Amino acid sequence: MSHSVTAHGAGKLPRGLAVGLALAVLFSGALFSLATGGRSDVGLTDLWAPEGIAATVIYDTRAPRMFAATLLGLNLSLSGLILQAATRNPLASPAILGLNQGAALGLSLGLVLPLFSGVPLQVMALVGAFGAGVVTFAISGGFTGRMDSLRLVLGGVAVGAFSYAMVRFAFTLEDELARSVVRWTVGDITDIRWPAVRRLALWGLPGLFAALALSQRLNLMALGQASAQGLGADSRITLLLGTLIAAALTGVSVSVAGPIAFVGLVVPHLAKLLFGGDHRILVPVSALLGAALMLYADGVSKVLTAPVEAPVGVVVALIGAPWFLWQTVFARDLS
Amino acid sequence: MAYTFKLLPVFSAALIALASPVLARDITHELGTTDVPDDPKRIVVLEFSYIDALASVGVAPVGLADDGKRDRVIAPYIDVIGDDWVSVGTRKTPSLEIIASLQPDLIIADKTRHTAAYDTLSEIAPTIVLDSLGGDYHASVAQMAAIGTAIGKSVEMEARITAHKATMAEYVAQIKPKAEGIAAQFGVTNAKGLWLHSPRSYNGSLLEMFGFDSNMETADGAVYEKVYVPTTLEQLSEIDPDLLLVGAYADPSFVDGWAGETLYENLTSVKADQVLPVTAHNWSRLRGMLAAEMTAADVVRIMDALE
Amino acid sequence: MTRRARITLPSLVLLLTLAFVWSLSVGAVKIPASVIINTLFDLDGDQQRFIINRSRLPRSLLAVLTGGAMALSGVIVQALLRNALASPKIIGINSGAALAVLLGTSLAPDLALAWLPLVALLGGTLAAGTIYGLSALRPMSPERLILVGIAVGLVCDAGVDFIMVTASTFEISAPLVWLTGSLWARGWQHLSAVWPFLSLLSALCLCLFFRLDLMRLGTSQATALGVNVRLERFVLLAIATLLASISVSVVGVIGFVGLMAPHIARQLVGGRHGVLLPTAMLIGALLVVLADATGRVLVPPLEISAGILTALFGAPFFVFILLTSRMETRE
Repeated sequence: MSHSVTAHGAGKLPRGLAVGLALAVLFSGALFSLATGGRSDVGLTDLWAPEGIAATVIYDTRAPRMFAATLLGLNLSLSGLILQAATRNPLASPAILGLNQGAALGLSLGLVLPLFSGVPLQVMALVGAFGAGVVTFAISGGFTGRMDSLRLVLGGVAVGAFSYAMVRFAFTLEDELARSVVRWTVGDITDIRWPAVRRLALWGLPGLFAALALSQRLNLMALGQASAQGLGADSRITLLLGTLIAAALTGVSVSVAGPIAFVGLVVPHLAKLLFGGDHRILVPVSALLGAALMLYADGVSKVLTAPVEAPVGVVVALIGAPWFLWQTVFARDLS
Repeated sequence: MAYTFKLLPVFSAALIALASPVLARDITHELGTTDVPDDPKRIVVLEFSYIDALASVGVAPVGLADDGKRDRVIAPYIDVIGDDWVSVGTRKTPSLEIIASLQPDLIIADKTRHTAAYDTLSEIAPTIVLDSLGGDYHASVAQMAAIGTAIGKSVEMEARITAHKATMAEYVAQIKPKAEGIAAQFGVTNAKGLWLHSPRSYNGSLLEMFGFDSNMETADGAVYEKVYVPTTLEQLSEIDPDLLLVGAYADPSFVDGWAGETLYENLTSVKADQVLPVTAHNWSRLRGMLAAEMTAADVVRIMDALE
Repeated sequence: MTRRARITLPSLVLLLTLAFVWSLSVGAVKIPASVIINTLFDLDGDQQRFIINRSRLPRSLLAVLTGGAMALSGVIVQALLRNALASPKIIGINSGAALAVLLGTSLAPDLALAWLPLVALLGGTLAAGTIYGLSALRPMSPERLILVGIAVGLVCDAGVDFIMVTASTFEISAPLVWLTGSLWARGWQHLSAVWPFLSLLSALCLCLFFRLDLMRLGTSQATALGVNVRLERFVLLAIATLLASISVSVVGVIGFVGLMAPHIARQLVGGRHGVLLPTAMLIGALLVVLADATGRVLVPPLEISAGILTALFGAPFFVFILLTSRMETRE
């Protein structure tokens, strides 16, 4: 079934060189993330033999944060890649589906309404995200198998606008609440420790293998529903499996870091641009690039407004949104 | 587009002239000059520091913005202004209908929050606008004098300010010897983060006056330009104050979550058991003379306990 | 005019009148009907000059005007983009205005707070212009406009988020309230600044219904019928942009009206713009008037923003008709 690869054309770079480059970017990103932080006296030189305060800074706060960024990048880019392939829609991603705004709505309800005060905020975020995703999906006709690309993005914008209208309720009440809501509703990993990293890895690594196992089916989806069925892969099963994996990966990410947009939207497109359309390659490469993007964003988030840190979610958005704009204006595959 | 409403000042001036037949005075404030009646009786205030100002000279407002929660006006204020005032809603969007129904003869509003409503407020009653939220402690005391003039009690207010300065000088005399060489830091924490109040803030300037050092100034080249600084554990460990005063809006708070971590346990203030709780509402939302005296009393108590 | 429209339009006018009267008679302060009538018609007896004449009356009028304008803007955008899920938000009004207001407040707070409506107007039109300009770099299609519009909106939103997390919340307290879409503290001065423009544009828009009917046919057919599609699309988009951004500049982001009102109107009277436009306008006005009045009486003395209530009441209804009439929504 190798024709599925050539159907989209092979990568534009020699594969070995490209993977090498991606790895180099990943490792430099990891170093960037480790070398920066609130303590200006702990830097690159402390990475090899840290002692005293430097050791605890590196091992207890920066290392878990670095791994969290890596895993979040992996989770979010894979969930974007799978969603886009399974729905055969290049725009399907958490940011467009309104998942992030839904998570924000869930969080705000949890913070404002006494009714939900017993429910952990992470759970509220997850419920909100999935609620928004399901509504957008339904509006775009995703459940009937006739998903319309424009309806998807427009439905997402509508659901997002509704969620934000509700989120902003908190803004009219008092500053303290507004401050909490603003802080909760952008992706933030400043206070990540090892338990959260373990949770991310527990879902992310099986997710990676599941995505690899699914990659051939995703290639078939790209050929179109009819041909996929002809080749023995029921597209509905692919859609179901893909949505489940994507939901789990997004869910665990939102519960750990809050909503982080654009990784799932931007990274798969970048990967396709560099490596062509074969999902057996795209799965590992997207994971790699997603991790690298998050690591750099994490580093930038610590130096952009130093000495104050900006949440990583807004940094990713500041990188991702213009890139997405550039793509919609100039690239052919989206418009 | 004509967003300058040329007729409006004329119109509101006419209204004011009708509302205040006797002895109006010109008060200059953040958004211009307003004719204020000589001896306003029905005052509405829209920020907590203005309550402090009125209470300082024994004047009770008829209406105030308490965010819809009457207990935000603390007992020391209630002792002076009584409990007959009407809540006009949140400080962000106070109900103009209720303000109007109180038939005030003076409204004191805040620049950051109420600039957009200034014209409308001026239609109800003479309105003066001060910068309550932006400034530090010294600015807030200067405002007290302005409010004293506006409410026709400048003599009483001057006397109160003099007394306040004397009281504060006493507190400073008590605190300063003990504060020598100690870096103190105030921060507010909720469930999601810790915000340190920088030396530019109201509380920062108070701590400075008490003679405390601040480690937030000495970071190499980096400047904390913000008044409130969201802070990670790592940043806190670099600032590493000797005395950390924490006002918590949530229980358990974000800072409580750090307990047990090596970096946190190695903070100077944690090792010396000098992370101390203070009342977040009093320290962070209230400002003014009474508020400053309460803060000072808190600090005296804290420093006595440390000995 | 169909039979349905003949029933719908008068009923909506009646409903709007009732809502308007209700809006005049409710608020944080309870005022007896006799006093309200005394005040409105300047009769002898008790009056409440400020609350009725200077607060509730201009607020309600402003709600009618801006609600209608946002709905009309929504109809135009949906016709031009040939998609019933589009709204003025798609052409960047809300996000652009929000970014401009927050940017202005953090760069020059004194200036931006005093001139907030103008800053918002500037931001909204700039964003719309950017979207139009970027879309025109390639052959323009409704799909392209939508995608570029969403992308520009996302860029603005990223900026908004960045300012919101880095600024101290008290510094942006006023813009945050504006962002929720509120008629708090709006009076005659705001009304007098916008009504000439909004009425003129609304009237113009109502007169252009037949051009919208043509545009809905799609580019090729419209061209075949002798329409200069490029020019007309530009003119209509400019009208839609101004209607929405002038409204947003005074009442803040009440974004859902422009999406919902045309949609409800279409369910009621169908897609011909001769009746769709006035119907949508009435529904938009009705929505905002009701939301504003409800926000005042729900939990006094607190005020709930109209933008929040339109979303809260409108969204479930919107999703319901969307899901039950899937086939009809794509024009």
